[in-house]
Amino acid sequence: MSRLANRRPLIGKYVLIIVVASAMFLPFFWLVSASLQTYEELISIPLTWLPSSPQWSNYREVLTNPNVKLGLYFSNSLIVSAAVTASVLLTSSLAGYALAKLRFPGRDAFFTFTLSTMMFPTFIFLIPVYYILKRFPFLGGNDLFGRGGSGALSSHAGLVLPFVVSAWGIFLMRQFMMNIPDDFLDAARIDGASEFRIFTTVIAPLVKPAFVTLGIFQFIGSWNSFLWPLIVTTSAPRLMTLPVGLRMMVTAYSTSTVQNRLFAATVLGIIPTIVIFLALQRHYVKGITLSGIK
Amino acid sequence: MSSQSSRRRAMQRTITGYAFLSPAIVFYMIFLIIPVAMSVYISFRKWNMLVPLSSSTFIGLKNYQDLFRDELFLCAVKNTLVWAIGTVFIGMLIALIVAILILNARWAPFWRFLIFAPVVTPLVAVARIWESGIYKTSGGMLNSILAMMHLRPEHWLADSRIALFSIMAVAIWASVGSTVIVFTAGLKGIPDEYYQAAKIDGANSWHEFRHVTLPLLRPTILFLSVTGLIGAWQAFDLVFQMGAGGTQSGVSSVKSIILLNVYLYQMAFQNLRMGRATAGAFVLFLIILCFTFVVLRVLREGGVESYE
Repeated sequence: MSRLANRRPLIGKYVLIIVVASAMFLPFFWLVSASLQTYEELISIPLTWLPSSPQWSNYREVLTNPNVKLGLYFSNSLIVSAAVTASVLLTSSLAGYALAKLRFPGRDAFFTFTLSTMMFPTFIFLIPVYYILKRFPFLGGNDLFGRGGSGALSSHAGLVLPFVVSAWGIFLMRQFMMNIPDDFLDAARIDGASEFRIFTTVIAPLVKPAFVTLGIFQFIGSWNSFLWPLIVTTSAPRLMTLPVGLRMMVTAYSTSTVQNRLFAATVLGIIPTIVIFLALQRHYVKGITLSGIK
Repeated sequence: MSSQSSRRRAMQRTITGYAFLSPAIVFYMIFLIIPVAMSVYISFRKWNMLVPLSSSTFIGLKNYQDLFRDELFLCAVKNTLVWAIGTVFIGMLIALIVAILILNARWAPFWRFLIFAPVVTPLVAVARIWESGIYKTSGGMLNSILAMMHLRPEHWLADSRIALFSIMAVAIWASVGSTVIVFTAGLKGIPDEYYQAAKIDGANSWHEFRHVTLPLLRPTILFLSVTGLIGAWQAFDLVFQMGAGGTQSGVSSVKSIILLNVYLYQMAFQNLRMGRATAGAFVLFLIILCFTFVVLRVLREGGVESYE
């Protein structure tokens, strides 16, 4: 296994590794440094790598200035990502169980269909979905026929609903549940347990690792998603998620003399996903591997 | 009687199965099947979303004809092809080299973390770092390096000849980490005996790579190509933020960097031409279908399917 690597001169190998690692790390280092610089340091030539004295006020400013709605963006992102993640875990495990452990006509066709939806480009359903959500009856000031208001688009529901089922999630849960021996289920069936009971008492505890993996994936994916929140929240700024909010700040301040604060906001925006990833790295990596192997 | 009861049990199983699938089925109806059917309808009509769909006007194939007469669309198709093929295959090449480098290196988890960090970083932040740190024309990292080598500075994002490639490099930087991890799993799955056998036959490390590693990685390469391309055809965030969305980067020509998804976004939500945008989405769908089948055909032909 180690053959390929071992025969290379070791020093050359580590020099290469360090070059690659620096290329990945230095941009982050500069970002953090930039967030602590004065405006003059930021626009100086050549680039400033270390601020002469760290400007923590950049952070204080973005956290306390009432015009910077970072707190709102955070809470919106949190609500939306948590809701999407919870729904995806539920719908994926239900469907995954049926596809992995129950036998009925149409099952394989449904699975093939689910896989094929991964090829559908977003824009072949995005415009009608926007229209359907906007005209959702009784929501957001709409009447029975979806007229008068902005429907589901006026609340977080508009950011959550189109993502409550994930083809990748169904696929992952199915693969995971296929590995559970049928004997476990048969024993419960002989005891007269219903399929739903088996699902909640036998299956759910066994697939906890898959829940963690899928959960992190989905959460980080939702947290970082950009196109749909951009479309929905352009007309509803109070629903803006963090990436869209940061983007708005970029367009507003990137050439101004307070652009150093923008970098402080960007660092704050990166922290949640990096922390989640650091804490649960093992599970995240397993998710990628699982999807890659099969 | 027993056949009747077994039929009843089969019926019951079917009902249970569909009960478990029902959330997904309802979702696919509302958010996929009905919308796609509506999209087909919309693509033949002139509609701006401001009036009810029922009051749009039928214009036949005009949306499709307009697309192919629109130079910006043709540029978007060309750029998207360059983008997808470039980011996926160059990204895979770099990732494979890195994966082999760190496979048995000391502190492998640490290197893997560093390489992976950009993958979980929001692309807004990635765009920001590259735009104002690395690609900045005066005093940016790359131009400082060029200056040290006494070379002329480049306008990485403003020069329309290189802007697309500059953004592609960012996309590769931001995604290479997950490809490295998939390759690492693939490399770890290759049984040691194959290398021992190759060694007995007197193979050098290049031969080993060419005749053992590469063929046995074929399923991994197939998976990465298919999923990578499907994602890359629809790239949006970086190009939107580093130019086509119109910020300070001062990209001289949108034509040189626009991608299909950015074009569709602008057509739909800035120009309010829903018909043309949906028509474009179907063209994109066709591209994705064709390439997925071609990649499956090419990479599946011959070679080792599985080594289990």
